[in-house]
Amino acid sequence: MGNQAKVKVRNLTKKFGDLTVLDHVSFDIERGEFVCIVGPTGCGKTTFLNLLVKLLEPTEGNIFIDGEEADPKKHNLSFVFQEPSAFPWLTVEQNIRFGQETKKRPRQEIDQTTEYILEMLGLKDFRNKYPHELSASTEQRIVIGRSFAMKPDLLLMDEPYGQMDLKLRYYLEDEVIRLQQAAKSTVIFITHNIEEAVYLADRCLILSQKPTTVKEEVQINMPHPRNVASKEFIQLREYITEQIRWW
Amino acid sequence: MARMKKWMDLLLPVLSVFLLLTLWILLHVRKPDIMPAPLDVLQKLWEITLHPISKATLPIHILVSLGRVLGAFALASVLGVTFGVLLGWYETFHHIAWPVFEIIRPIPPIAWIPLIILWCGIGETSKVVIVFIGAIVPIVLNTVAGIRQVNPMLLKAARSMGANDMAIMREAVLPDSLPSIVAGMKTALSTGWMCVLAAEMVVARQGVGFLIIRGMDSGDSALILAGMVVIGVVSALITVALNYLEVRLCPWKVTQK
Repeated sequence: MGNQAKVKVRNLTKKFGDLTVLDHVSFDIERGEFVCIVGPTGCGKTTFLNLLVKLLEPTEGNIFIDGEEADPKKHNLSFVFQEPSAFPWLTVEQNIRFGQETKKRPRQEIDQTTEYILEMLGLKDFRNKYPHELSASTEQRIVIGRSFAMKPDLLLMDEPYGQMDLKLRYYLEDEVIRLQQAAKSTVIFITHNIEEAVYLADRCLILSQKPTTVKEEVQINMPHPRNVASKEFIQLREYITEQIRWW
Repeated sequence: MARMKKWMDLLLPVLSVFLLLTLWILLHVRKPDIMPAPLDVLQKLWEITLHPISKATLPIHILVSLGRVLGAFALASVLGVTFGVLLGWYETFHHIAWPVFEIIRPIPPIAWIPLIILWCGIGETSKVVIVFIGAIVPIVLNTVAGIRQVNPMLLKAARSMGANDMAIMREAVLPDSLPSIVAGMKTALSTGWMCVLAAEMVVARQGVGFLIIRGMDSGDSALILAGMVVIGVVSALITVALNYLEVRLCPWKVTQK
């Protein structure tokens, strides 16, 4: 391994009492790669993400970022959760500044990045609004903006579009690709929507039923934006769906 | 239709005050010796504003009472929020301190008056301590409730962005519980205002509570009622001020209503 992987997961195991949720999961993620994790419902995807950002401690195994053990205080991580998590007492703009300020970035850089993100996500008109004054999907855009504004080494997204309608979902999928390519971020994106995974990912990790392991990795080399109706796309989608089936 | 509603919104409050005054006047007509007329009370208010009772005019009496309340309230806010945060956030501290707090909490502040006077004498300290006891309870209760209801998602979000424990407290826990803390402070200030009057009625040489007792001692029912009117008006002004403060402190909550 001459070229160091951005993220290395080694033998990651998590047990809650007798229940083994993750069973010796190992894989690498390259710098700037967009990886989607798919798997059957209840296979421990969220547990896996919580382990990655150290909201949970693993029973066994380790996660390395740039060769060092993952630590949100040291590494620049960012998390977009399934549930809306914009800070209700901060305006849209303050929310987007939050993570950058926690990381004590220089003032000028914060100003610039914040403007860029507000523009990119079409939030300029709402900059002084509070999250509750906006729709749930706009709130999720704030959180996505807040995460990208941190220019994270690793951005974790846990079904961020789960509660959105199709049209907005498509729009934000393109947006996330645009932001990811502009910021050259490494992204781990968890979803149960296989079409979404094939649309976004450079690589797809397919998880098995509990106790969860990585069942298979699928490389996706189509250029963006991808045509969901193309033959290759449909083949991949059907293949991955077949792999997830447990019935 | 909208115009009609606007008129009703203006008219109904006026009507209800008018009703109160009518009842008052009816009482006065039936028992003029113990129920003074509204005009007599107004006249008394004017009189005590110009001529001092117990070396102080009405504004001074009001300021003396307010001073006691605000002093005790400031102390209760600082200590109450600190105590509430400790109780709400640290499980061990909660186990140790909550039972004691629960035993002392239901004792009405007024029941403390005799003991406090024995301990602190009849000077300013005893009044401030009584108001403090009344004000700290709602602040502690609301702070604990606020801290315990912090949205765990927001804690996760702050933690995943690398915030340390101090930053999480400062940037997530406290702001998320602020509306509840401010609500507790509002209750505390009204409770404090009630306590100071009770304390002043037992022992004081100045203050609005003292005016009422002076009225009772001298059989001056207009003075009693004047004192009561002042209490009502000052309370209303305090509420207005607190509502304004709430808007300034928690703008995101207020626009939500």
